[in-house]
Amino acid sequence: MKKIGIIIDKYHLEHKVSEFLKYINSKAEVKIYIEETFLLNSSKLEFDEDVFFVKGKGDLILTIIKSINETTDTPVINSYKGNWLAINRFLNSVVLKKTGIPLPDFALNPKGIIPPFKNYIIKNIIDQKNYKFKPIVHKEKGQLRVADERALNEYDKEDPKYNYLYYQKFIKSKWEYKIYGIGEQIFYNKQLPILVNPNKLDSRVQIDKIPELEEYCFKAMEAMDLKIASLDFLKSKGQFYLTDINCTPNFNYLKDGPQIVANYLLEQAKK
Amino acid sequence: MNIGILSKRKTMMTGKLKKCLENKGFTVSIYTLDNLVLDDSLLIHDFYILKSKNLFFLYAGYFLEANNIPVIPRPDVSFIQKNRIQSHFLIKSLDILCPEIYMGAVDTLKRSLNEYPYILKPIMGSGSKGVRIIRSNEDLDGDDKSIKYLEKFIKGIHYNIYFIGNEICTLIKPPLSDEHVDMKKINTPDDIKDLIERWKEYFKGELLFGHLDIVREDFSDKLYVVDPGSFPEFTNWKCEGSPSEKICNLILQQIKKSNSKINLN
Repeated sequence: MKKIGIIIDKYHLEHKVSEFLKYINSKAEVKIYIEETFLLNSSKLEFDEDVFFVKGKGDLILTIIKSINETTDTPVINSYKGNWLAINRFLNSVVLKKTGIPLPDFALNPKGIIPPFKNYIIKNIIDQKNYKFKPIVHKEKGQLRVADERALNEYDKEDPKYNYLYYQKFIKSKWEYKIYGIGEQIFYNKQLPILVNPNKLDSRVQIDKIPELEEYCFKAMEAMDLKIASLDFLKSKGQFYLTDINCTPNFNYLKDGPQIVANYLLEQAKK
Repeated sequence: MNIGILSKRKTMMTGKLKKCLENKGFTVSIYTLDNLVLDDSLLIHDFYILKSKNLFFLYAGYFLEANNIPVIPRPDVSFIQKNRIQSHFLIKSLDILCPEIYMGAVDTLKRSLNEYPYILKPIMGSGSKGVRIIRSNEDLDGDDKSIKYLEKFIKGIHYNIYFIGNEICTLIKPPLSDEHVDMKKINTPDDIKDLIERWKEYFKGELLFGHLDIVREDFSDKLYVVDPGSFPEFTNWKCEGSPSEKICNLILQQIKKSNSKINLN
C-alpha cells in the first residue's frame, strides 16, 4: 500500500477534507502532519512517505515542505516554490505577467499613493491565513473602489512590511470563471462575480472547455510550479484576465473532487 | 547612467554609496519605504543596488529582474540569506555546520523541548532584530498557537566576519549583539578563511561582499554559521580602506561585466 503524508492545518483538517480522508484512507496508508501540533526538529527529519499533499499555507507547513524537498526525492503537491509564490500576491503577479498571461493592471503602493487606474480592488499582499474575501465597496463620482477587509487589516499594522497596499485594476465582467487544475485535468465552472452575489455557489455552473483558459491554466501552473490549483478569471471586451490563483483550492465544490484529487496524488506517488 | 538604491534609510552605507557613485558622474536615486512605488516608474534606472532585505525591497528586486533591469545583490541571493529556513538548508547542503532548528506552536515547543537554552529568531529577518535567548518554558510567550522558530544555542566565541571581494575582516563580538557594537579585530584564522571561500563559491561570483556570524563552539572547537548577511553596514570594518568605496567599485565592475550594453561612461 502506498504511503501518503498530508501536511495540513487544523482549520482545513476540521472543515475541508473529511470526504477526501475517507476515500484516501481506503486506498493508502495515511500519515497526517498537523501544523498546530507538529514539532519540526531539523536533526530528526525522517520521511518515508511516497507522496505528500499540502493543505495549508502557514510558516510551519512551508518549512515542512522545504525539509522534505531538501532531504528526499518524494513528490510534494504543491511544492515549496508553488506555495511561496501563491502566498505572495505581488510576486506571482510578476511571474504570471512575464509568462504572457493577461492580468489586470496591478500596483503595490505605500500608504497614501493611489494607483494609476480609476477603478480598483485592494487585495491582501500575503495570502497566508484562512479567511474569506470580505469586500468593502465604495462608489463615488463614477469611481469604484473595492477593498478586501483583510488587506486593510494588514495595512494598519505597525510593522513596515504592511504599510503597502496591493491594487488590482477592477475588471467588469458578467461572469467569474473558476477553473480547477489537477495535474493534466482541467475543470471549468462559471459563477456570478462575488460582488454581484456573495454566495458564489448559488450561481455556479459547470461549463464546457474554453481553449484559451486551458492554455492560461497550464501556463500559470507551470510557471508557479503548481500541480493542483484553482484560478479565477474575469472577461472584459472578449479578453480573459487572471485575477487570482490559489494553491489550496476547495475541491469539495467540484463533482467527485475529493476522489479526483486523491487518485491524482496516488498516481504521483514515487513507488 | 541612472542608478537606483533600494534602502530603508538614506544615510550610513547608502549615503556613502550614493556619494561615491555621484562622484564618478552617475545619477543616483534612493528609494525608501516612504517613496517606493512598485510599478513601471521604477524602470527608468539602468540598474539597482538592493541595500535592504525588507520584503518590499525584495519584491521590487524581483519586479526589476523580471523587467531585465540588473539588481545587485540579486534578489535570490538576498532572499536566501534573509529567510532563515532557506539559509539553514543551504548551509547544511554545503557541509557547513549550523545550529539545529526547532519549529512549532508555542504549546508544542513547551511540551517537547528540554535542552535549553535556545535562540528565538524571526523566520524572515536579519541582524539581531527580534532575536532573544530562551532559557526556559517561561521565556516562550505569545499566543500558544503561534508558530515560533528556535535555534539551538551554541556556546563559544562569536565572530562577525565581513568580506569584500577577496578581503576578509574578522572581529570578535558579544553574543547576540548587532554589528554596531564595539568589536575586537583579530587575524582571520585559516578555518574561517576556508569557510568564507566555500560560502562564496556557492554563489558563483554573485556574492561580491557580505558577512557571516559564526560561533566557534567551546566544546568541539568547530565553526557554526549562525547568521548570514548580504549587505551589512560594515560599521566595524577595522581593516584597510573604505568599505563603501570598495563596494561601489565592485558593483560597477560587476555591472560592466554582466551587461556590456550599459555605457558606464
